[in-house]
Amino acid sequence: MSELPSAAIDERMPRPAPGTGRGVIRLLVRTPLSAAGLAVLLALVLVAALGPVIAPYGVNATDVLGALRPPSPAHWFGTDDLGRDILSRVMLAARVSLQVAVVSVAFALVVGTAVGLISGYLGGWVDTVLMRAVDVMFAFPVLLLALAIVAILGPGLTTAMLAIGVVYTPIFARVTRASTLSVTEEPYVKASQAMGTRRSRILVRHILPNISGPIIVQTSLSLAFAILSEAALSFLGLGVQPPQPSWGRMLFDAQGFLGSAWWMSVFPGAAIFVTVLAFNLVGDGLRDALDPRHRTRMGRTARSGSRGSR
Amino acid sequence: MKHRLPLAVGALATALALALTGCSAGTGVDVPSGGHTILRAAIAGEPDQLDPQKTSSYFSFEVLENVFDTLVEPDENLEMQPALATSWDLSDDQLVWTFHLRSGVTFQDGTPFTAADVVYSYDRIIDDKLANSWRFSTVTDVTAVDDSTVTITVSAPTPNLLSSIGGFKGMAIVEKANVESGDIATKPIGTGPFALASYTPGDSIELTANPHYWGGAPKIDGIDYTFVSEGSTAIAALKAGEIDWTDSIPAQQLDSLKSDDSLTVGTTPSNDYWYLAMNEKRAPYDDVRVRQAIAYAVDRDAIAQVAAYGTATVNELAIPKGSAWYTKYDTYSTDIDKARSLLAAAGVGPFTMDLLVSSDYPETVSAAQLIADELQPLGITVKIRTLDFASWLDEQDSGHFDMLMMGWLGNIDPDDFYYSQHHTGGGSNAQGYSNPEVDKLLDAGRTETDVDARKKIYAQAATIIADDVSYLYLYNPSVIQAYSTKLSGYVVRGDRAVRFRDVSLG
Repeated sequence: MSELPSAAIDERMPRPAPGTGRGVIRLLVRTPLSAAGLAVLLALVLVAALGPVIAPYGVNATDVLGALRPPSPAHWFGTDDLGRDILSRVMLAARVSLQVAVVSVAFALVVGTAVGLISGYLGGWVDTVLMRAVDVMFAFPVLLLALAIVAILGPGLTTAMLAIGVVYTPIFARVTRASTLSVTEEPYVKASQAMGTRRSRILVRHILPNISGPIIVQTSLSLAFAILSEAALSFLGLGVQPPQPSWGRMLFDAQGFLGSAWWMSVFPGAAIFVTVLAFNLVGDGLRDALDPRHRTRMGRTARSGSRGSR
Repeated sequence: MKHRLPLAVGALATALALALTGCSAGTGVDVPSGGHTILRAAIAGEPDQLDPQKTSSYFSFEVLENVFDTLVEPDENLEMQPALATSWDLSDDQLVWTFHLRSGVTFQDGTPFTAADVVYSYDRIIDDKLANSWRFSTVTDVTAVDDSTVTITVSAPTPNLLSSIGGFKGMAIVEKANVESGDIATKPIGTGPFALASYTPGDSIELTANPHYWGGAPKIDGIDYTFVSEGSTAIAALKAGEIDWTDSIPAQQLDSLKSDDSLTVGTTPSNDYWYLAMNEKRAPYDDVRVRQAIAYAVDRDAIAQVAAYGTATVNELAIPKGSAWYTKYDTYSTDIDKARSLLAAAGVGPFTMDLLVSSDYPETVSAAQLIADELQPLGITVKIRTLDFASWLDEQDSGHFDMLMMGWLGNIDPDDFYYSQHHTGGGSNAQGYSNPEVDKLLDAGRTETDVDARKKIYAQAATIIADDVSYLYLYNPSVIQAYSTKLSGYVVRGDRAVRFRDVSLG
């Protein structure tokens, strides 16, 4: 990246999308915390993908005689009230959690971004109608809205994904609209409009790439919240249905054993904690890496830092 | 008492209950201590209403047990003893029962209790077709001969009439004025040892002692009931001395309770039972060999362990050991090979089973996961469907299930255990079982007056029912209650009746 302020280039030519993939990742791993978050996420994806192969026991293999055993070499995380291996269940639950998070956030991303783009670019009554609808959805607390949706559609994995997707849609719409509004005023968009380029082409070629930064950051943060929401729904018995493992459901099942079998609640709880933290760290790192102003400052800090050391 | 455990309380109720225990601690301190002894009891949920003849909620009966009376009532051994009736005679043709009523009894509002109240109460159950009217299926007439004598005429000999009219407070004697004003649902008036003082929905129910109670005034001044569905909360409150009694106890916490010296933990085998039932209107469950295969495949000991943590007794029939009606039956050892060969004989390949359980009864969810694992080697893929109890009932009644797990509680007479569940077209025969031989036996049991002959009839019927796997019986749970050592004179009863009239505190 050039050290020139990016605005100087923008006067004449379409601005390139802020940061290529490789550049972003390089910036991301420069901060140790984000790098750690990224490493955890990669490990998590690996566990989720290979779960059934590498889990030491069958996820639903019960053994009542070996129930409620504390962590041991045979069962690293101990066993639950049905004698199932908690390590295996935590590993398999990673798959469920990631699946729910990715699908629901993908839903929110696609729908929310589309709504935000249209609303921000077209303006007028379309903007008013769409944004008021978004405001109404925003007025509901996230979990309450999700609960209402699950109550209507019935509990289960699919409805949990849909419910979480729906409640995170408005935030994507808002973020996209705000960015779209500012980018629409940019000269290269105005120029494109003057040249008679089709609207859809302007949206996809010029606007979308230039607003992708905030959306990517929002995606990462939403993934963290989606995992939390899934855990909450499952904890309330409205998400993943037994015997399929889920971190939230495992916590729910552990309630009655808080005093006698700490390992039943500690390990799934730790899994939620670590995953959410990792997504948040990566989200923070992405924001730093993708925000041009931030990046410039980081660049300056790096330079002045190196000058100071000399 | 033929209701299912009503535990349909959600997270909101839990939150409320959490708030409540805080409040009850406060009032416990505020009550002036000048000789006042109020028993503070935490029950696991809130009554739906307080009309004893209409409610089917166990939470209601935990309160109403102390407010109302029946003509006769079960003692600790579940034998019927005099209550509002002091004695009774049976005509030689066994068709007319004459009850002699206790004199000098008044309702808690001072109105005298007479034979007319008995007639009104029973006619209300029969004429309004209330949920318990089936208990009067043979009753053709209830008449007041004079103020202290009632006759009940039956169309056929009815040996279990006493347990029908006295088995639980659903057959309570109510006051006409109280019913007609509609107050009975929130401010019931009975003849029992305690009178309702206040009912704050969502919060508490307060009873005060009835000094004119026919059995002698209670030794305590009153009872405060609070609703605490979260077992850990109730136990913490009990340990902290904020409550004196609770039955909101998760079985897995029993061990930690027993080690506490300041508490008495009462457990007693109950007449309740848990079972699996398969939908015989659907293939392949219409084939008795498939049902038997599953009966051989499940491990009752493991299920009882997971569902009740060693507090339950495994049983392959409904009626528990210790009951006069117990029948020994031990056919289904856990034998996976036998199960395989039965399935092979039935010519059934791998199939998927929809197992219906309720989140309001966590034991069914735990057991279902175990059963799913146990049936897998047979090539049966179990899909567990967890519903709240109201939806569960809908699905059961409309026949949308392959197999379900649930329990019945509070039964006393064998007719309660078997008739409506296994008679062709019986009111609770959701599994669609029909066997003419069982029908004949169950009908005969209703009118057989010789006790030994009756026992034989039910032993035979129960054996066929289990052989045919109309119900796949699992276990009899225990009644678990815990209370402060300051509470004396309290007895944990197998029929789950919570009687505080003879207790003292301090």
